[in-house]
This record gives sequence, structure tokens and C-alpha cells, in this order.
Amino acid sequence: MTAPHPHRQETRAAGGSPSGPQLQGSSRPVPHASARAGRQPRPRRAHRVERWLGRHPFGLALTAPYTIFVLVVFAIPFGFGVWMAFHDYFFTAPGVSVPHPFVGFDNFTAVLGDGDTQRAFRNLGVFMAINIPLTVVLALSLAAALNAATRWSVFFRASYYVPYVTASVATLAVWLFLFSGSGAVNHALGAWAPDPSWLANKHLVMPLIALYVTWKQLGFYILLYLAALQNVPRELHEAALTDGAGRWQAFRAVTLPAVRPVTSLVILLSLITSGQIFTEPFLLTGGGPNGASLTPALLIYQRGLEQGEPDAAAAIGLILVTAVLILATISRRVMERN
Amino acid sequence: MKRHTRIAVLVTAAAVVLPLSACGSDDSSGGKPTAGPIDIWYSTNEQEQAWAKTVVDAWNTEHPEEKVTARAVPAGKSTEDVIGAAITAGNTPCLVYNTAPAAVSAFEKQRGLVNLSKTFKDAESFIEQRSGDAVDGFRSPDGSLYQMPWKTNPFMLYYNKDVFAKAGLDAEHPKLRTYDDVLAAAKAIKSAKAADFALYPPATSDYTNSLFDFYPLYLANSGGTQLVEDGKATFTGEAGLQTLGFWQQMYAEGYSSPEAYSGDMWAGPFSDGVAAMGIAGPWGKGQFDGKVEFGVVPLPTAAGAEETSTFADSKNVGMFTSCRNQQTAWDFAKFSMSKENDAALLEETGQFPTRTDVTTVAAGFLKENPFYEPFADAVPRAVDVPNIPGSSQVWTTFRKAWDDTVLSGKGDVKDAFGAAAQTIDDQANG
Amino acid sequence: MARTLRLLRYGALGLGAVAALLPFYYMLIGALQKKRDTSLGGLLPDPSNLTLANLSGIDDSFSLTTALLNSLIMTAGVVACTLVFGLLAGYALAILHFRGRGLVFALVLLVQAVPFQLLMIPLYVMVVRYFHLADSYAGMILPFAINSVAVLIFRQYFLQIPREIFDAARMDGASELRILRSVAVPLVRPAILTAMLVTFIGPWNEFLWPFLITKNPDMQPLAVSLANFSQSNSTFQANPMGAVLAGACVLAVPAVVLFLLFQRHFTSSNLGSAIKG
Repeated sequence: MTAPHPHRQETRAAGGSPSGPQLQGSSRPVPHASARAGRQPRPRRAHRVERWLGRHPFGLALTAPYTIFVLVVFAIPFGFGVWMAFHDYFFTAPGVSVPHPFVGFDNFTAVLGDGDTQRAFRNLGVFMAINIPLTVVLALSLAAALNAATRWSVFFRASYYVPYVTASVATLAVWLFLFSGSGAVNHALGAWAPDPSWLANKHLVMPLIALYVTWKQLGFYILLYLAALQNVPRELHEAALTDGAGRWQAFRAVTLPAVRPVTSLVILLSLITSGQIFTEPFLLTGGGPNGASLTPALLIYQRGLEQGEPDAAAAIGLILVTAVLILATISRRVMERN
Repeated sequence: MKRHTRIAVLVTAAAVVLPLSACGSDDSSGGKPTAGPIDIWYSTNEQEQAWAKTVVDAWNTEHPEEKVTARAVPAGKSTEDVIGAAITAGNTPCLVYNTAPAAVSAFEKQRGLVNLSKTFKDAESFIEQRSGDAVDGFRSPDGSLYQMPWKTNPFMLYYNKDVFAKAGLDAEHPKLRTYDDVLAAAKAIKSAKAADFALYPPATSDYTNSLFDFYPLYLANSGGTQLVEDGKATFTGEAGLQTLGFWQQMYAEGYSSPEAYSGDMWAGPFSDGVAAMGIAGPWGKGQFDGKVEFGVVPLPTAAGAEETSTFADSKNVGMFTSCRNQQTAWDFAKFSMSKENDAALLEETGQFPTRTDVTTVAAGFLKENPFYEPFADAVPRAVDVPNIPGSSQVWTTFRKAWDDTVLSGKGDVKDAFGAAAQTIDDQANG
Repeated sequence: MARTLRLLRYGALGLGAVAALLPFYYMLIGALQKKRDTSLGGLLPDPSNLTLANLSGIDDSFSLTTALLNSLIMTAGVVACTLVFGLLAGYALAILHFRGRGLVFALVLLVQAVPFQLLMIPLYVMVVRYFHLADSYAGMILPFAINSVAVLIFRQYFLQIPREIFDAARMDGASELRILRSVAVPLVRPAILTAMLVTFIGPWNEFLWPFLITKNPDMQPLAVSLANFSQSNSTFQANPMGAVLAGACVLAVPAVVLFLLFQRHFTSSNLGSAIKG
């Protein structure tokens, strides 16, 4: 990511700015832009600073508050978590000395060999496979419709935001009302109602939770897309239309590339939040039936807090973090490459 | 370069981490317990708050030098996590009223609880005199007491009189002595569509839920055998298999629901009229009054017994090692469990102090409230969870087998729980 | 053609709005019911079954105004920190080239990817034992003060803005600080609002952490007081679920009002006018 060579940074940066090629080609109302973008010779001293700190050392100053905060507040607990994962550890009252021997990868092999951990990660896979594509498609299409709609836009915007801000106890009560064995959905389905019913069915419970989370967080992602869509100049879209493109083609040629960075963000965020799915199985099923809705975060809670095995929980946590970061890196590489 | 920086970050992190684990030296250990101001936590339940306020006020007027500061902390699932975190941080209060016996072994492992037997000369005599044989159920494996038995809420079977009448069953003296009786009643209720379900215990996979379905009935059926005794799982015996078989049938026939309840999953199904019967302690009255017409019978057993054991659902008092003035804490604990204060607890909250002489202490109250009599009778036969290391792992293992074969209504109970028993034997021995 | 498209568009939007609002409506109705009605008919208001008793039950149980104030202080603190840290870091990550940029970005992802359940106890021990922040607003705010979601939002919006705008300003001799203040910040105003609207709800609804930190009821935010109420006292109310839903309403209404207040600004500023202005 931080290539020390300034020129390589340059190319990456150009690639990292996806509004680049497509928009530059069109007549974007930016004064003097391309004329000034060219590189100019700089004094030698600046060169040295640049080699050591990068072209804009000011960036270091701007990120410093964030970095320092992370190091002060998160590095200790997180470093502690890493340490725990490699030791035989449990929490004790201060002043108590209990031996905590180093156990190498024992905690990792133990949790990886455990059926619960495997199930939790499998469930997470199911969750992501449903949640992420559905989130992108629904959020983008609703945001696009919302952006084009002129009437009642305040009403629509507010209504999509409502599930996102409503506390889970309330929204989950509604889903139970809809999807319980004798609930509205099964009434409507009649003889087609699944047996065992949704929440007691080990094949349906995780998809149902994925659907619920998608629905609940949709307002958040719609807001992200909306803010981005407002930055896509209407003229571009209209220009494409007058060039004889159909609406769908215009959408694909103009809107989709323009919001690509946000799509990348939406994927990244839904990936990361997926990794932390906890409240829903915690409140709805406790991980059941028979582990079918167990998630890694719930497992961390159960092992670490309820069962007093923070070392095992930390190992699961590190596996989860590694997996999520790998996926995040892949998605970012794919989405932000030109 | 990048990699180096990352390693550097980790090393720095590790360096700052060590103090967290190694920091030692203070408060808890050594010396004679001292007197002075203390903190306590009690439950936010309104009736209990009223009781606690009176007791604390009475104490504070008499002991201005040893003031008690009391705070209401909700008694819920997360409370145990909060106490666990507070032990680690060293900021637990002196006393927590409402310590769940199931959590004691974990707190003890953290070295968060004071060994009462060894710290206070009169601890054994005071506690034994007040609670009698019940005390032994709360002893830790080392034989000491790390908790003071405080109150007992024996579970009974509540039934909805209107539903029973609608199903053509006897609403005043229902026949609910044996498992077959209950199944027959359930059948009648279902075919008459008198209620959606016969019994609806919490159905999520939380390990604590076994205390609301299997365990009370098992204690009744086995004459008070705890889940684990002498380091061995006991539920694969005949009594256990009978209880498991009964529940499996309840789910297989659709008399019970394997789904989470929308609402309060403990009291909700019965008080909303969704379930015809409910298993609950004396506190049930406060929650069901005015919502359904109910009666109470002892828990059923396979063969039908005269006097049955039941689950005690005890809440005890724990003293925490971070307490600086342990002498005051102990004196206050004794004060709060005096005859008068115990009687006040019963009158205020409808919950029974864990006393051998509960029927005498409560005589006046029971005369005015005959409803509570069967509960008072059951107090001496009420049994709680075993105090064993790895308690929560043990219950989790049990609950998994339950999910697998009982909630689903199919599968071989004997095989599934035989395997669970083997795992539990290992877990219970640390 | 255009007409059917519009019809389709409003149809989809309407359907989505119903799906989104139904639960909110259910919550309101449920909060007003005297006796819980879980049948389909329960969705319609039944005048004989309506009451405000559930709400007054909450008000009797704790001080709503204190709790609301605590919530506001905690949330405002979190949002202020989130926006400041997030804007600065997001801008730097998107626009500026400096050594360690990749590392900072990795850190942003890492912080967000670590499940809170893992950090909770060590964090609690640290905040309480070493920072001495039990029962304080600072202690409540601390773990939420940086929010990687906000950083990522800002980074992505800055990436979307043509880089030439910044280069042009730089060529004109503007200092970096000035570019940040008078070019970058006005440009991402929609993103500031978005970031605020999406990060504000986390601390507002957060229960577990403030519950750990505060034992003093006068310091507890609304979410904690409501959870206390619904865990230990709602079962004694005439309609327990009604009481819980009433609590959820109390928690949700300020959030929705805030959205309605701010969404006006959300539309009025767009990039075009910002550049031309």
C-alpha cells in the first residue's frame, strides 16, 4: 500500500480515484483542472523530506490523532487479546498470581477442531453470501429510485432510516410476530409453511437472520449511496440519454462507475459488520437450533464471558479478524483496481 | 519496512500489556477484616428495592461510622458478565445480593469471592443455624462457603384455570401428578384448541434455560439428585431418562414450542395465555395476577410422588475480595438476614428466605396469603445447581444434547445424553 | 415509457417504505396496547385497548429526563470525536501521500474488524483501573470516540472528488491546512451529515458498555435505564411487552426527530453548488 517510490504512489493514487477516467473524459465543470495536474520540478530538500515522509507529510499530522488514539485505547486490549490466545489464561482479580503458561498454538488447534467453531464460521459464510450481495443491490436500486424521485422524497428517506435507528428489541419482536410458527407469514403460506418453522429450522434460521440484518441496515447503506448519487451530475446522465443510450445503459455507463467507490465501501463495511453479527442470534435463538445460528462473535461471547475461557475466545477472535481482513483486502483490491 | 513497523507495533503493545496481567499488590489479602463504609448491589426489581432501602436505612442510622452505600443493579443475564468484569478490574462492591449459585464457581476461579468459612469465625455457625442442611448444597469443592444462602424460590407447576375448563379438564383439582397425566391434559388442551401450547419453557439455546425445563422436573423425579454428583453426571439413570423422554414427547407432539417466544420468554407464554401451564417460583404470582386465572400444583413425576423435590432457584449473597471493610460487610449481611428482615423480605417480595424455620417466621404472612403455603412447604426440599468447577461448560454441553434430541422431538435420547454425560464427567473434573 | 418507469419507481419505493415502516408502526401500536394482541387483528388500533399506561410505567421507574440528558451528552461526545478524527484521517488517507498511509489504513480496518466482545474486559479493566473513568462520561465515550466507519466514509467521498480540485488549490499556493478548511470540508458536507446520521445511532442504542461503566443510576444513559426497566420491572406491568415496546419508542423517537431535522440540509448541499460557489 505504501510504496516508498513516489511515482508508483502516483499511479496507485490515480487508480484509487475511480472518478478519474470516466469523468475526466466528459466535460466536468472543474476549472483549470487538467492543466495544473502535471508534475513540476521541486527543490532538492523537499525531495529528501518526500523520500522519508512522503509527498504530503501533513497527512501524518492529520492521521496522528486517530493513530495515537487507537494505540492508546485499542492497542493494549488487542495486544492483550493476542497474548491471551497463546497462553493458558483466564481473568482473575487483581493481585492474584496464577500461572499462565505459554501454550503456543494449542488454543488455535483446540478451537479449530471444535465442531462449534466450524459451524459458526460456516454460518457466517452463509450469512455473508446472502447479506452482502443483497445489501448492495437493494441499497443501490432504492437509493437510485430515491434520488430520481421528486415527490415524497423526505417521507421515503425517513422511512428507510427508521429500522436502522429502532432498537433491536422492538424490530426483533416484529420479526418474531411475522415469522413465528403461528405468525403472519406462515398464515399466508398455509400448507407451504416450512416444517419445522423458520426459527426452529436449521436450514432457514441463518438465511432469515441474514435477511433481517440486511433489512435493518439498509437505511444506512441507502444513505451512503444517496450522498454519493447527489454528487453525480445530472447533466452526465442526461447527456448519455440524449446520445441514444437506454435508461439501463445510462445507469450502467454513468451512475454505476460514479458510485463505484461507495459500492466498494458498502461491501467493505457489510463484510466487516457481518463478522460481528451477535445481537440477533443472541436475542433470537441463543445460537440454536443446535448451533445452526451460532456466529463467531456469539461464540466469543459464550466462551470468553459466559464460560470463562478468554484464551479460547481470543483464538477464535484472531481467526475471525484474520479471515475478515483477508476478505476485506481482496474486496478492496478487486473494487479499487481500475 | 512496512512489516518492521507492524512488528514494532505489536511489540509495543505486548510491552504495555504485561502490566495489566502482572500488576499486583493490594487490598484483598491478609490481616483481620476491618470495619468502615461499604458498597452493596441489589436487584432493581421494585419490591426488592423497597426492602433493601428499608434495611440499609435502618443499618445506617445505627452505624454512622460504617455507612452502607447501596446501588440497584439489574438482575439479568448480563449482570454476571458485569460482575465478572468488575472482579477483573477490582471494583466489585462488598456484597452482591442476587448472586446466582450457578455463577459462583466462575467467580471463585477468578478469586473474586471471599472464603467466608475461613475469614469469619462465626460464619459457619450463623449460616448453618439459619439455613440448615440447605447449606451443604452450596459448599464449594474445598468444603468452604463462598456464598451466603439468602432466598429460595421453589418452582411449582402453575396452570391456567380458564384453559383447563375450556378443555374439559378439572380446573380446581386437575390431575397433574404423573407425566402421563400432563401428556393427557396437553392432548385435551390441544384438541380443544384451548391454548396454543401446553407448556412453553424458554426455547433458545442459552445454557441457563435448562433450569426452567429439564432440571426442575428431574429434581422432582429423582428425589433431589443434582445434575452432577461426586464428579459424575447423573441424568443417564432411569429418573433422568424418564424426564428426558417426557420432554421429548412434549415437543414431538407439538405440546411445547421449540421457538423463541416473542416477549418475556420466562413468564410471558403463561401470563399471555399462550401456554396452559408454566413452571415458576412464587414470584410468578406477582407477574400472573390480573392476567390469567391460575392454580398451583407440585411438579409432576413419572410415577407420581407424594412429596416432590424441586428446583430452588436460589439467589445468594456473595462477598467480594475487593472489599476493604470486610468486617462491616459481614456484619451487615448478618443484619440483613435477621429474623425480622427475612420476614420483611417475604412480605415485601413474596420470596422465601432460605431458613429452616421459614414456616414459623412466615406464619403470619402465610395465614394471610394461603397461596404461598405449598411453596413454603417445598422450601426444605428445594435443591439448587451443583457447585462444581466448569459449571457453565457442563450446562452448555447438556443444553446442546437437549437442542439436538429433545427440542427437535426426534433422535435417541439415551445415546445423545450418554455422550453428553461422558463429556460432562470430564468437564466437571476441571 | 417514462411514465411506467416512474410508476415502477414509486411502486418499489412504496413497497420498501411499507416494509421499513411496518415494524415501527407495530412498535407504536404495541406500546399503546392495554393488553397484548399478537393476532393479525392486533395491527389495527382498537380504541378500547389503547392506553398510555405503558409509558407512565417507565416514567415512574426512573427519571426520563436525566437518562435522556446522559444519552445526549454521551452521544454528542462520541459524534464530535468521530467526526473530527474521521474527517482528518479520511481526508489524509484519500488525498495525501505520506509514509505509513497503508499502515494507517490497515489500522482503520483492523480496529473495525475486531469484535468488541473480545476487547471488552481488558478495555474495561484499563479504563476503570488505570484511567479511573468509572461512572464518568469520558469513560462511556472513550471506546466509541473513534469510529472506522466514519473514516471510511470520509475517505470514500474524498476519493470520489476529482483530485484536480486539490491540486489546483495547491498550485494556487494555498497551505494544506487552508485546503482542508476551505476546499475539502465544504465539499464533503453531505458526507459529514451522512457520517453523523449513521454513527450517532451506535452510542445512542449502546447498552453493554455504558452498563459496565456506570453503576450510578444518575449517570446512566437511556438505553441502560430502559434495559434495567425491561429486564427487571416490566414483567410486573400490566402489559410487559407493551412496556418494553414503549421503552423502544422513547429510545427511537429522538433519533427519528434528529433525522427529520437534519435531512433538509442533507439535500440542499450538493457538489455542483459547492464547486461553483
